[in-house]
Amino acid sequence: MTVKATVAALAVGGVLAMAGTAFAQDEKIKIGVSYPTPTHAWAAGMNWHAEKAEERIEALYPDVDMILVNSPDPASQASALEDLVSVNQIDALVILPFESDPLTDPVLNVKKSGALITVVDRGLSQPGIEDIYVAGNNPELGRISAQYMKTRIGEGDNIVILRGIPTLIDNERFDAFMEEIEGSGINVLDHKHANWNRDDGFEVMQDFLSRFDDIDAVWAQDDDIAIGVVAALEQAGRDGDGMFVVGGAGMKETIKGIMDGNELVPVDVLYPPAMIATAMDVTVAAFKSNGPVAGRYILGATLITPENAEDFYFPDSPF
Amino acid sequence: MAHSDLTKEQGRTLPKLDLKTMGPAIALILLCIIGYSLNPAFLGEGNITNLLTRSAFIGIIAVGATFVITAGGIDLSVGSMAAVLSGVMIMVMNSLIDVLGTGVATVMTGCICSLILGIGAGMVNGLLTTKAKIEAFIVTLGTMGIFRSLVTYFADGGTLSLDFSLRDTYRPVYYESFGGLPIPVWVFLGVSVAGWILLNRTAFGRYCTAIGSNEHVAQYSAIRVERIKTATYVIQGFCVSLATIIYVPRLGSASASTGVLWELEAIAAVIIGGTVLKGGYGRIGGTILGALILTTIGNILNFTDVISNYLNGTMQGLIIIVAVWLQRAGWRGRGKTAD
Amino acid sequence: MPFDGGSPVAVLAADRISKSFGSVPVLFSVGFDILPGEVHALIGENGAGKSTLMKILGGFHQPTSGRIFMDGKEVVLPPNGQAEDLGIVLLHQEFNLAEQMTVEENMFLGREKSSNGFLRRKEMREEVRGHLAEVGLNVSPTARVSDLSVAQKQMLEITRAVSRQARVLIMDEPTAVLTTAETELFFRQVRRLRDNGVAVVFVSHKLGEVKEIADRITVLRDGQWIATRPARDLTLDAMAQLMVGRELSDLYPPIAEADVDAPKILEVRNLTTPRVRDVSFDLRRGEVLGFSGLVGSGRTDVFEAICGLQQVEGGQIRFDGQPVNFRSVAKARDAGIAYLTKDRKGKGLLLEQGMLPNVTLLALPRFVRNFMLDRKAEEEALKRGIRRFDIRARDPNVRVGDMSGGNQQKLLLAKIMEINPKVVIVDEPTRGIDVGTKQQIYHFIAALAAEGMSVVVISSEMPEIIGICHRVFVMREGRIAGSLTGDDINENEIVRYAAGLKEAV
Repeated sequence: MTVKATVAALAVGGVLAMAGTAFAQDEKIKIGVSYPTPTHAWAAGMNWHAEKAEERIEALYPDVDMILVNSPDPASQASALEDLVSVNQIDALVILPFESDPLTDPVLNVKKSGALITVVDRGLSQPGIEDIYVAGNNPELGRISAQYMKTRIGEGDNIVILRGIPTLIDNERFDAFMEEIEGSGINVLDHKHANWNRDDGFEVMQDFLSRFDDIDAVWAQDDDIAIGVVAALEQAGRDGDGMFVVGGAGMKETIKGIMDGNELVPVDVLYPPAMIATAMDVTVAAFKSNGPVAGRYILGATLITPENAEDFYFPDSPF
Repeated sequence: MAHSDLTKEQGRTLPKLDLKTMGPAIALILLCIIGYSLNPAFLGEGNITNLLTRSAFIGIIAVGATFVITAGGIDLSVGSMAAVLSGVMIMVMNSLIDVLGTGVATVMTGCICSLILGIGAGMVNGLLTTKAKIEAFIVTLGTMGIFRSLVTYFADGGTLSLDFSLRDTYRPVYYESFGGLPIPVWVFLGVSVAGWILLNRTAFGRYCTAIGSNEHVAQYSAIRVERIKTATYVIQGFCVSLATIIYVPRLGSASASTGVLWELEAIAAVIIGGTVLKGGYGRIGGTILGALILTTIGNILNFTDVISNYLNGTMQGLIIIVAVWLQRAGWRGRGKTAD
Repeated sequence: MPFDGGSPVAVLAADRISKSFGSVPVLFSVGFDILPGEVHALIGENGAGKSTLMKILGGFHQPTSGRIFMDGKEVVLPPNGQAEDLGIVLLHQEFNLAEQMTVEENMFLGREKSSNGFLRRKEMREEVRGHLAEVGLNVSPTARVSDLSVAQKQMLEITRAVSRQARVLIMDEPTAVLTTAETELFFRQVRRLRDNGVAVVFVSHKLGEVKEIADRITVLRDGQWIATRPARDLTLDAMAQLMVGRELSDLYPPIAEADVDAPKILEVRNLTTPRVRDVSFDLRRGEVLGFSGLVGSGRTDVFEAICGLQQVEGGQIRFDGQPVNFRSVAKARDAGIAYLTKDRKGKGLLLEQGMLPNVTLLALPRFVRNFMLDRKAEEEALKRGIRRFDIRARDPNVRVGDMSGGNQQKLLLAKIMEINPKVVIVDEPTRGIDVGTKQQIYHFIAALAAEGMSVVVISSEMPEIIGICHRVFVMREGRIAGSLTGDDINENEIVRYAAGLKEAV
């Protein structure tokens, strides 16, 4: 009898205690931030900016608790979301989904728990789930790049394009670029996928150089590819004569080069990993601001030039 | 009597063997003809040099893989190993600038470091397979994940870059030529010749083949099976680190995406070359051709816009399967001997 | 010709069958017929064409010329085992069983009973039980094949054939891997099948068994048909003579007197391993020492332990007067001890390779010059071996796996001789080998001893132990049960020690 009673008492006590802590925690605004484990430089930059934003926001608002979780694949990200709801009982979720389809339902479940949903960069498959959407502008990245090309070259000049990994993002950038240069007389010799990767950028560019004797400019679409392209150009000795390469994203080394007046990579088009920080700020504002914040925030694809480069230079970020 | 029979019979069977050996070479020549007909620049000096240099990485790694596979093993960790070796090498060299300056001493130290770590990593793979008796597939699947995550960790998820001040010293190792051939091609040649001699002309090579054919027979024939098998993984590690040493000066960086799928390319090169995946028969010459074939496929696809970009993988897959199928058809014909 | 073109009663008949592989003729106009309800044995030396004839009768090879009749009608047998549908089942020497599946799954492999895609397991299990009971095989339908004994696997193969309404059962050396008791059990099943009207073709090198089980015997030699006679008309000697084509009176070589004062080369005291207890014996120079006993009595374990292939738990071994403990085969080899395994295919030879790499493998360090293999020396070694052991291969580049068992055994002998051993241990030296080659191997062993080498012969065949050994040790359950010398070596004594009826004090 005594053993049973003790167990029962402990159990009841435990439940009460848990309820107590839960109640105590409830006084804080808890915001879960979920994104893929960084495996490439851009994602590492995002991770860095997320951590910076967490520090800054928590210092500013002591009653806000940011919980950062990264996951190595879509399935673990879905599990992480469940944990954020059941264990951490979050009030809001900021998520950069690994993939759109597999995470749509898990995010919907989080929404059903009453949390505010902010989606970053990659949209979900179903509209209307997220309250706030923050993203870079992929078509704009292509368009701005093309516009810059048109200021440097024109009728009869030849360019080659190195694309990313065959995805929607890549297509949006590419299609917008092609639309913008249409009618300019600039001749696109060929376009190949270089998978947002330095090695592939190097090899594809080597082959373009063997194949085409006259190339006036390269749209590399991405800063990593651009590094490979530059190495190939230097190897072939074709990095002079006004040849230039346009990348994208905003890698710190590239931005440093622009500040230093690099002629081969004179500009960059921003697709900032810091967008996660923007999303976190807007989400906090939903709790703190007296103005409405729900809606879509599409960041501009700013052209980074020597004049404004300093504003986008974060020497401590890994990207 | 028996003597004269022997020489006569050899004379008869040699040409037959040669035809089979020539399979991958014929495939490569066909690819070259296709490449040339698509664009004459394909056979330009620049492109050939590019092709050879590019093949060097996979080729050198594949020579090591030939030993592992011939002895009945498999090493899935080579791509990740290359990445982590590149990363560590870059970190070591960057940190040594203050001590040793930006000269040859720093670069040499980095290279030695890579060699030691490569051999060590191979040793770990080998000992786990032989002493701990875990299947090579599982051991190297495990170390593949470990190496990959280590490089990610060292790079904070980003990219490790070689300090610019070192590049002038180190760059020539990839970009300079000697006697008309780029240095990586010389290294590739050296590794190939050494590998060929080791596999075909030494007791060690014979032991690898015997172990791959039948481990029991090898054990009963006084072969130190565990030692030889471990040695194949060490050779593999050594080859990976050589490949790393010529890879790093190319772009001067390493990241989590360095060397992704190199293990599969290396294994594919070995198998296309005629080495038997389950062991017991290895061909270094074939492996080298296999590596060249793989690189040439990618190169040709970059030289044409006839095939949709999205179908590149399909073309590569098809060519690999057809190449191996031709090989196996040859085997079947040979295997039909009287009972 | 014994055959007149399709006797109406023959269930399966071959008429003037010839077969060539490439330019090599293997069978010359051979006739053969099988009657329902008979056991027809096919005997001949290795390479006589038995396997080829069987494969032709099973549809696995097509004859180059000649006709096949089934129930008197000319047929072309379908390839790749599809002749099973006609009731002709060929059981290969290697088991054709899925080791990791159960008895019941194996019985129905490829012809599972199912309805709507679901297996009718209960029905199949019942049917399997029936078949097992019918042939008297006492195993559970759910037992895993890998857990069965060799004899049980053999019986399972036969049961499966029977369950598929086999009318002709062709078996290639089915008793080669069976113990005497298992063979008895197996023969009982064969007789039952015969009495049910099944025609059985049976290939064996064990002439005593052939005499016991067969109704008729056909002899092949060098691809030619030699004779078909009722078994009762043939003595064992007559069979052997027909096979070899000459008198076999000198099957065993004359034994040179053992020199009792010759120095001891190997002294073993109280050797203990996980499966051997307290084994002690001496081996003198120039002596042939026999190790007899039942399969599993620990004979192989003793010598594998001495050669560093198994763990030694205790005891002393002196070699040439020096205490030794070989931790690897390489150490034993360097000292001059060669162990020739009984598992030729699994542990002895690289079947996928040619003869050359096989013959030098054990002694390979001797063929290294300047870190490279000396091709010429290797070729010399092969020639030496071919000459010394009379290895007859059609083509020196032949895959060793394609060679006959006798030639494989000779190649193994050539292989271990390359280390110039002082002690040679041969384990089951004549397993699966025809009588002509057996005779050669016995003479080789005697010659080695005469040259001053010491030979240990481990064998389950008592006649050969008796025929070639100076002294014999009989093992039982991991211990030496007794030893016999000179005229005391006879079957009766060996059996009594082996079976535990007698124990040395």
